[in-house]
Amino acid sequence: MRTLLQFLARYSILLLFLLLETVAFILLVRHNSYQQSAVLSSANRVSAGLYNISSNIYSYFSLKKQNDILLAENESLKNRITALENIAESAFEDSVAGYVYADKDLHYTAAKVINATTGLQRNYITLNKGMRDGVTADMGVVAKDGVVGIVNAVSDKFSVVIPVLNPLLTISCKLHKNNQIGALHWDGRDYRYAEMLDVARHIEVNEGDTVVTSGLSEVFPENMLIGVIEKVALTESDAYYNIRVRLAVDFRNIKYVTVIENKNRAEKLRLEEETIK
Amino acid sequence: MNLWVENILRYLILLLLQVLLINNLQLLGVCSPCVYVLFLLALPPTLPRWAELLTGFVAGLVLDIFCNTLGVQTAACTMVAYIRPLLIKNMVQDNERLTDTPSSKSLGFITYLKIVVILVLVHHTAMFALIAFSFHNWWLTLIQIIVSSIVTIGLILGLDLLRR
Repeated sequence: MRTLLQFLARYSILLLFLLLETVAFILLVRHNSYQQSAVLSSANRVSAGLYNISSNIYSYFSLKKQNDILLAENESLKNRITALENIAESAFEDSVAGYVYADKDLHYTAAKVINATTGLQRNYITLNKGMRDGVTADMGVVAKDGVVGIVNAVSDKFSVVIPVLNPLLTISCKLHKNNQIGALHWDGRDYRYAEMLDVARHIEVNEGDTVVTSGLSEVFPENMLIGVIEKVALTESDAYYNIRVRLAVDFRNIKYVTVIENKNRAEKLRLEEETIK
Repeated sequence: MNLWVENILRYLILLLLQVLLINNLQLLGVCSPCVYVLFLLALPPTLPRWAELLTGFVAGLVLDIFCNTLGVQTAACTMVAYIRPLLIKNMVQDNERLTDTPSSKSLGFITYLKIVVILVLVHHTAMFALIAFSFHNWWLTLIQIIVSSIVTIGLILGLDLLRR
């Protein structure tokens, strides 16, 4: 007995070492063969909490990368939308082509805005469609929100549009609710607002009324949205209203537009000229 | 500083360093250094051997829990804790050199380097051998042991320089 105790005392450290190593090996083997326990893995509260914090921190470092991934995804989604829009547009063109009404014989061309200004006194917009795409001067240009402007100059591949935001342009417009004709003109101050002129004082005009194209000039079809009346002012001596129109199109944020060709415009103008002579 | 406080602080810092930073550095699949061993290396030499063994066991178990490698670090760290007192006893004749915390300053650079190299090699060999239990390409394990040991030794010596 004494010898055994002496042996144990002498080799106690070695025995403890062997015992601990045995436990370690049992853990190792069991861990590989059995379902791991939640306490003895990184799933326990302390280690999982620590990992959670660290992953929150690490995610900040990958923000830029994630951003790039999202941008790339956005880009491909936008491209698909454009492709779908073009398909929808061509389907629309097909249906429009069947119209018999002369003032509705329209042809649409989708175009992309490749340059645009909003902060100048005379602003211009450049499109990526030109003569070879069938775009000619004096065609109307609209975005999905409303009227943009009128084509001014055309090269083979590009065209320049005079938008509403240019005092050189005056668009024939009307109040949607009572068809009262006016003229839309930009005063050069704020890219969000334009003025509606020539509305006589006996006409009923309210804030919130919708302003649309009149369809008289053959540049735009009738009833295309221009904007909504923001403010109406009329002093004692005025013969005409001062009407401030909030434009429907956000010119700072305009990417895709449609150029409208009225196939009967030339014929109509010629007839009108002959008559006036 | 109180010896207890110093060792506990060192433990916590090394644990966070190992788990949050170094375990995320996986270079080509062959370099996974383990600076954590420095905690066992820097324990006071006056520590009773049974206490040192238990410390190594628990320290290894905690790291295993974080790394999901149950048993691997436990075995490797217990082995380091068993061998260290024998090494120190053999290599350091001059008892005056045995201060509270073994370092290159107290033991002399060559002696310290020898101890570090042997203990890191023992730890990494045990660690990678146990991890590779289920794999058969022994040469990959060998490369892992060598590359990781070199990096770990470098890091430990770097931390030792910082302490000076």
